[in-house]
Amino acid sequence: MQSSPTMLTKFESKSSRAKGIAFHPTRPWILVSLHSSTIQLWDYRMGTLIDRFEEHDGPVRGVDFHPTQPLFVSGGDDYKIKVWNYQTRRCLFTLNGHLDYVRTVFFHPELPWILSASDDQTIRIWNWQNRSLICTMTGHNHYVMCAQFHPTEDLIASASLDQSVRIWDISGLRKKHSAPTSISFEDQMARANPNQADMFGNTDAIVKFVLEGHDRGVNWVSFHPTLPLIVSAGDDRLIKLWRMSETKAWEVDTCRGHFQNASAALFHPHQDLILSVGEDKTIRVWDLNKRTSVQSFKRDVDRFWVVAAHPKINLFAAGHDTGVMVFKLERERPASAVYQNQLFYITKEKHVKSYDFAKNVESPPMLSLRKLGSPWVPPRTVSYNPAERAILVTSPADSGTYELIHLPRDATGAVEPTDVKRGQATSAVFVARNRFAVFNPSTQQVDIKDLSNSTTKTIKPPAGTTDIYFGGTGCLLFITPTTVVLFDIQQKKQLAEVTVSGVKYVVWSNDGLYCALLSKHNVTIVTKTLEQVSTLHETIRIKSATWDDAGVLIYSTLNHVKYSLLNGDNGIIRTLDQTVYLVRVKGRSVYCLDRNAQPRVLEIDPTEYRFKLALVKRNYDEMLQIIKTSSLVGQSIISYLQKKGYPEIALQFVQDPQTRFDLALECGNLEVATEMARELDRPNFWNRLGAEALAHGNHQTVEMTYQKQRNFDKLSFLYLATGDQEKLSRMAKIAEHRGDFTSRFQNAIYRGDVEDRIQMFKEVDQYPLAYLTAKSNGLIEEAESILEACGLTEDQISLPSLQQPLNVPHPIVPTFKSKWPVKAAGHSSFEKALLGEVGAADEEDAGDAYEFDEAEPEAVLAKDTLEDEEEDASGWDMGDDINVEEDVEFVNVESTETGAGSSEADLWARNSPLAADHVAAGSFDTAMQLLNRQVGAVQFAPLKDRFLEVFKASKTYLPASTGLPPLVNYVRRTTEETDSRKVLPIIPRDLEQIASVELQEGYNAMRANKLEDGVKIFKKILHTLLVNTVSSEADVEQAKKIISTAREYILAMSIELERRTIATDSEEGLKRSLELSAYFTIPKLEVAHRQLALMAAMKFSFANKNYNSALGFANRMLANGGSAKLLEQARKIKAQCERNPSDAIDIEFDQFAEFDICAASYTPIFSGSPCVTDPFTGAKYHEQYKGSVCRVSDVTEIGAPASGLRLFVPGQY
Amino acid sequence: MDPFSAEGELLNIHNAFHSGQYQEVIDFETAALSPENQLPARVLKLRAQISLGQTDEVLAAVSTEEDTPDLAAVKALALQVTGKADDALQLAQDLAENYPENATVEVLAATVLQAQEQSEEALSLLSKHQGNLEAVALIVQIHLQQNRTDLALKEVQAAKRWAQDSLLVNLAESWLGLRVGGEQYQSAFYVYEELASAPSSSAALSIVGQAVAEIHLGRLPEAEAALSAAMEKYPEDAELIANTIVLNVLSGKPTEDLESRLQQAQPSHALLTDIEEKSALFDTAAAKYAPKVSS
Repeated sequence: MQSSPTMLTKFESKSSRAKGIAFHPTRPWILVSLHSSTIQLWDYRMGTLIDRFEEHDGPVRGVDFHPTQPLFVSGGDDYKIKVWNYQTRRCLFTLNGHLDYVRTVFFHPELPWILSASDDQTIRIWNWQNRSLICTMTGHNHYVMCAQFHPTEDLIASASLDQSVRIWDISGLRKKHSAPTSISFEDQMARANPNQADMFGNTDAIVKFVLEGHDRGVNWVSFHPTLPLIVSAGDDRLIKLWRMSETKAWEVDTCRGHFQNASAALFHPHQDLILSVGEDKTIRVWDLNKRTSVQSFKRDVDRFWVVAAHPKINLFAAGHDTGVMVFKLERERPASAVYQNQLFYITKEKHVKSYDFAKNVESPPMLSLRKLGSPWVPPRTVSYNPAERAILVTSPADSGTYELIHLPRDATGAVEPTDVKRGQATSAVFVARNRFAVFNPSTQQVDIKDLSNSTTKTIKPPAGTTDIYFGGTGCLLFITPTTVVLFDIQQKKQLAEVTVSGVKYVVWSNDGLYCALLSKHNVTIVTKTLEQVSTLHETIRIKSATWDDAGVLIYSTLNHVKYSLLNGDNGIIRTLDQTVYLVRVKGRSVYCLDRNAQPRVLEIDPTEYRFKLALVKRNYDEMLQIIKTSSLVGQSIISYLQKKGYPEIALQFVQDPQTRFDLALECGNLEVATEMARELDRPNFWNRLGAEALAHGNHQTVEMTYQKQRNFDKLSFLYLATGDQEKLSRMAKIAEHRGDFTSRFQNAIYRGDVEDRIQMFKEVDQYPLAYLTAKSNGLIEEAESILEACGLTEDQISLPSLQQPLNVPHPIVPTFKSKWPVKAAGHSSFEKALLGEVGAADEEDAGDAYEFDEAEPEAVLAKDTLEDEEEDASGWDMGDDINVEEDVEFVNVESTETGAGSSEADLWARNSPLAADHVAAGSFDTAMQLLNRQVGAVQFAPLKDRFLEVFKASKTYLPASTGLPPLVNYVRRTTEETDSRKVLPIIPRDLEQIASVELQEGYNAMRANKLEDGVKIFKKILHTLLVNTVSSEADVEQAKKIISTAREYILAMSIELERRTIATDSEEGLKRSLELSAYFTIPKLEVAHRQLALMAAMKFSFANKNYNSALGFANRMLANGGSAKLLEQARKIKAQCERNPSDAIDIEFDQFAEFDICAASYTPIFSGSPCVTDPFTGAKYHEQYKGSVCRVSDVTEIGAPASGLRLFVPGQY
Repeated sequence: MDPFSAEGELLNIHNAFHSGQYQEVIDFETAALSPENQLPARVLKLRAQISLGQTDEVLAAVSTEEDTPDLAAVKALALQVTGKADDALQLAQDLAENYPENATVEVLAATVLQAQEQSEEALSLLSKHQGNLEAVALIVQIHLQQNRTDLALKEVQAAKRWAQDSLLVNLAESWLGLRVGGEQYQSAFYVYEELASAPSSSAALSIVGQAVAEIHLGRLPEAEAALSAAMEKYPEDAELIANTIVLNVLSGKPTEDLESRLQQAQPSHALLTDIEEKSALFDTAAAKYAPKVSS
């Protein structure tokens, strides 16, 4: 059997012959004892040598880690057993006693015992706590090559060159040592002299079974972890399997295959497999149940001496002539593929399952792939094709096979797939809807196949290609050991190439623009044309990656989930306790598969990378949002921001004044810096602030810092430079006050104040200088008086020749009054975003324009209002007058184009009795006929826009052959339907949109007091509904409600608009105004809006001393409830009106009577008096308006006979 | 040798032409082609020029070589596109009579005939084709324009038997799919999406196709994304504008700007003429009704 590609080497060391191996139970460590007397401790994950222990003399053959303590034991050819502490890196003690080479040493799983096997033909048990020998087992009559404890029972197995395997019962020994409180004298004696006691009838350890079957020496023996099975390896090149019961043990079978001495054998800890190694340089894996060879691995020159299994995870190690190798038997990465919200993956049982990310549910198994590949080899990859709902699975078994399988429509259980297409290849991926590519490394050939598995194209990939991946539509990525090549399948052309070595996996971003190339220790991000964007290195192995929707790569290493932005900035998101394979990230959830192929969801905190992403994209709003809502603090983010040159943003995170000060200086935010300097108030900070402020030209701040530092010289100079004479003279005074003459002199010079200078010289007895100053400045008298005071005359003094005295030039512009104009420091765009947000909030507050604006609009339809109105909508009854409907079916639609077929538009008109469908079909005349019959529509002009809108939306234009007009296709609302008798057109602005958008616009117009707009909006709603369709009876009800709502609002707004046109200076006008304002309160508006109407009416009546009416309105307002502010006003007015409940002007309005308002004349129609209604809107009119066009709809004829509007035909959808 | 076969030299230039990458066709390096393929490549380049509106250049280029039937057919098409319909028809009919076996003549003359609504003549000319996929595609289109989906379906299925992998057959199947609807919308969508997303075939044509399929599937936001991205790239494309208008109407957005843009780009576009016609129809139909009492 050839070497199998599924044996995965994870680590290899180079050394002399490795004789003993032990895995650390929890850490990624392996202990290797060498023939050269050294013991090595390796970290096999990082590939580093942690330590070396060199105290044995000669080869060390056995080592073992203690299961819990930081200890290990070793035994060697120096007859010694040594116990070591690997933390202190010292040998704790040595157990002496064996008389020949020690072959193996093992710790007991619970008791403080060590078991050793030696060439002196004994097996010994030692207590490492009191460092004594407690049992010696004799019986073998040749070297004992191996002795092991049973993992749970009081048994020992030993293998010897005497060709036997022995099973020993040590329950006696345990009994003796388990009750240390009652040690009898004899026991103590016995323990003191164990060797002697052992020789004669000692029952501590007795031979239970002797297994004979090997016909050469036996090198190794191991217990099965759970079953009563034993495996042994011998120089007869055989691996023997034994079974035992309470009373006997027998040979089960033999695994033949090694062609040299078999050195060691053990059971797989979790699977029904046996592993064995031998001097024939092979590692062999056997099926425990069939005893057949499953796979084998051969080294070229190195004989194998030992094999060990990790107790928990799927790892093995084997020692050979030149070192040790750590390996896996199979890949643990579950094959999976993601499409939209679905994850398709293959479980350990080889079942295909799907997992829904949105619903977080696993499907039942959909398929069983039991027959794919060989039973012990899991599938490697799966590729999913949504168009065909098919999967491509590859398995490395038999040097690579693939299968193309259609998934069943419903997951009903692990059924065997039917209609499977298969072939030879190591990689297979879908490249298009109906094409897939398979790669065969032995022939170095890529075949493009169609769904019937026949090859349509053959491509020769670049030399050395190891794998292929999907490369974007119509393209493939070829992976070679050093490069990745993008290849266009159609053009058979290499499009791009990038040099990245050792790429193992390729992960495309969700938008297909970027792709991450994962190799063992590197992540390289490239664009879809293979331009390298960034690359990063990890010391720990990279396992998997997936893209966030925002274009952040989330990847996992063996123990971390990390992220990388496109620019290569990366960081840790969380740690992992076990290795997982990421498949998807959405919001705070990372979806992954663990090594048991179970979907898992990990919670992550995406704040950090979102923040960094926002920073990179300069999306300040989002950054602001993140700063506000999360606790994103910490040195790392601050230093990141500083490093990236965003100190002003870092400033937002910091509390510590010193850091804040530093950051503020860095970003030139003097305000914050000053604030912080005040808080800190130390000269150093003032000094730095002063320097920075000076650089900014902010001399006020500079002045302050100099003042704080009492830096008088600089302060004076500053005043000089800024031309602040006043302060300069104050400085002079201060200097005088302090008695600091130098300073005073300086100030005097700055100020050009000669007198002061002379005065000062005189004060310090510098008369010569005083005289000179006076003289040179032409102050003759002063000079004289100085001479006099000194008792000298002019001729006694020799003066140098005097020139014109120099004066300090004065600044022409009074700079001190303002700052120097320098570049605008301060508000970064980020801070602007902060300010901008405040502004937006203000606007919101100011949004309500209505005079009494407390009213909060209710969400959609005020239910109670509308329910009241149903009785009014009698003109809109859908049920009656079937005759008219019958006619509808026969509306004649002329078919165009003889010879050719009829277009879909014609079909629509035939298929539907709804006016809207006829409009979409372009059959306007039949649509008008329908509307005329259904709702008495007579004036169509206002509907023209709506007609054309519906018509416009009905067709798309698909360019086809050049030179010909585009193909016209008809857009359907029945997207699933293909039966030409059932297809129907799409109608834009459906009910949902009307209710959620247009109706709200209408309400907003009401609230904002824009009544003209409001009337237009509501009329448009009526027109839109008139030419429309809905999808259920419930929707019909909702449409009716919206029609009545629109009618009431149009009526109310029209009344109010009418009132505003009437002048109130005449008595008649005032009366009419009062009436209209009262009628305004009658239409059934939403409560909040009715309150507005009532408020207006109440105030208007009250102002015109119609206290009785005002009282009525106030009472109605109070009954309606709502905003406290409105009710407060109502209460006040009510209280006032109750004192004098009478009207100054008598109006035609009875607040207690039931009446409707005529929509044409805006006068009451009291119940019982004759009236007519509009068949569409249900608006009421006085009888004289019959036959004219409805004022509310502008389309329909008042009182026309009508069958009622049809928007819905049952069974149509 | 069949020029459409996967190994043919002309495959790439053909695919570029049919996926609407006209500039790439014009820039195509033809010097290396074998002599028998030079003429078809030249015809394709000329047709690409016509598609880009460079008809004058084309007419000038072929004026001296009208003896070659292929180039004469190109001239007919160019004349048709420039609006000289009668000359074009005359030339096309002559060519159809004299060279009915010439593949270029079949396709281009039939295009001219169909454009002048001589569907029967066009179909009878095209029926003589010998494994010419362009002819097949044209037949499918003519059937679809005549609303004979059944005949178009037959034609596509027949062609699929011998040229399943060809881009043209895929396209013709998508045209049909968008007419039939239901699950076929999705298949058509996949075809166009595949074209639109691959750099070697992405063009206004394929993006429009993708967006149209999405409109038919009722996936308006996706259609909008595709169209608005394409509008930036191809602001003058009439079909792009027309379909964006349809989409905007469907999602309740204003379309006036777009309509005037379309008016500029192609005043004869079916959308505009239809609306004009229907607007007139509306006015006449509405005039039949009046309220009993005028107010």
